[in-house]
Amino acid sequence: MSTPMLEIKNLRKVYGSGKDQKVAVDNISLTVERGAFFGLLGPNGAGKSTTIHCITGIAQPTSGQILVDGVDVVKDYKNARTKVGLSPQEFNVDIFATPEQLMDFMGGYYAIPHDERWKRIDDLIKRFDLEEHRTVKFQKLSGGLKRRAMLGRALVHTPDLLILDEPTAGVDVEQRRDLWAYLKEMNEGGKTIILTSHYLEEIQYLCNEIAIINHGKIVAQGTKEEFMKDGKTVEERYLEITRADNEGKK
Amino acid sequence: MHTNWVGLYTMFRREVQRTMRVVVQTLLAPVISAALYLFIFGTVIGTKIEDFAGVPYISFVFPGILMLSIVNASFASASSNLYFMRFTRGIEEMLIAPFSYFEMLVGFVGSAVVRSLMVAFLILAVGILFGAVSLVNPLAFVFYIAAISAIFAMLGIIVALWAEGFEQLTVINTFVITPLTYLGGVFYSVTFLPPLAATITYLNPFFYFADGVRSSMIGYSEANTFAGLCIIFALVLGLGGLLTHLFKIGWKIRS
Repeated sequence: MSTPMLEIKNLRKVYGSGKDQKVAVDNISLTVERGAFFGLLGPNGAGKSTTIHCITGIAQPTSGQILVDGVDVVKDYKNARTKVGLSPQEFNVDIFATPEQLMDFMGGYYAIPHDERWKRIDDLIKRFDLEEHRTVKFQKLSGGLKRRAMLGRALVHTPDLLILDEPTAGVDVEQRRDLWAYLKEMNEGGKTIILTSHYLEEIQYLCNEIAIINHGKIVAQGTKEEFMKDGKTVEERYLEITRADNEGKK
Repeated sequence: MHTNWVGLYTMFRREVQRTMRVVVQTLLAPVISAALYLFIFGTVIGTKIEDFAGVPYISFVFPGILMLSIVNASFASASSNLYFMRFTRGIEEMLIAPFSYFEMLVGFVGSAVVRSLMVAFLILAVGILFGAVSLVNPLAFVFYIAAISAIFAMLGIIVALWAEGFEQLTVINTFVITPLTYLGGVFYSVTFLPPLAATITYLNPFFYFADGVRSSMIGYSEANTFAGLCIIFALVLGLGGLLTHLFKIGWKIRS
């Protein structure tokens, strides 16, 4: 059996201390197999982004273990980070940089040699239809173009695991469809992808594995088919599960 | 894993681009300030003052002016770079990239040193135009310039991590760095001071920085060189160790 692309074991993340303490992620365990298109769902503040931040190194886990392709993200963080690409929910970029600069710098940080880096940048610029905008400052780009630049930046080092935190927020329907086609193509090519989104038709279309996180805990996990049994859509099933969980907590 | 040399070079390259993006603020302003200092203290006042330590007053004062510019450039570069990255969350680019904590430190400090070397080079050119430059020990000169840049870059990083607003970013510079620099013998010899003020000056680490640069340029020193080197090494190692620890625990940058 091959090593899973991602293993999360008893992850707990607590922000603050004392009275201000907030448990963002409460003892979750999760496995994402190699080649999966994994949908991580949950309401705002459920713990999705915190989980992603713990995987990528933006946040420090309070306890538990995360392995990316068998590599511990805390103990062997430098190695683990070469395996992950992140397109975050918020535009965490230098707004005065251009799309090609963003990709160039990120590729450089990942130690991709110059010629190889620029070949990839040219490919990504072309793939995301950014040719006309490659030297335009990020702040001047439309929402959709910004998202595409962020995706290009996440892919420039050809990560084994691509994490997309709401990658189509603010993207128009046509561009969203283009993006879906590209993501599907990448996944079919073997790339493992974790996707969070509030557009549940997107999850239904793209993902083959789904987990729902609510109040920092995994409340459901299974294949898309399991979620859609009895003829329900992913959205209907999601609402059913989260409402039942919220009711149970009252 | 091996040292991420390409990543470090990318950080330096990015700082050069950032410097050139706001060239008036980053390069032109310090050059104009230095030229004004040289004109006023060197040409206007300096010609009325007798040679000091065997050199014209303009040559005596030039190392201090150069140090002042380097201090400001490295502190401003490091503090604004990191604070801006925290503010825009651009720091996350660094956190997810394969940099060790020590490499992050080297990258941020090295970037600031690169900018201060650019400033130093331009001010040396201005100094040459004013006939104020001499260099008796080029190796020591490079050492002092690099070490002083690194120290103030590290202070800038600490302030950038600590600051919660733009005002806090300037507080340390205004109330600590600037007074200590001006009172550290940048424009005068410690022999000009009354005994008590001279004693206090010897307790000011900035005095040893200015003296080190001056001794490497004109060969005249008023401080104990060994004590100066000890202060410089202690600061580089102490601040470096502290910052590596702060990056490791992710203070103010990792949630």
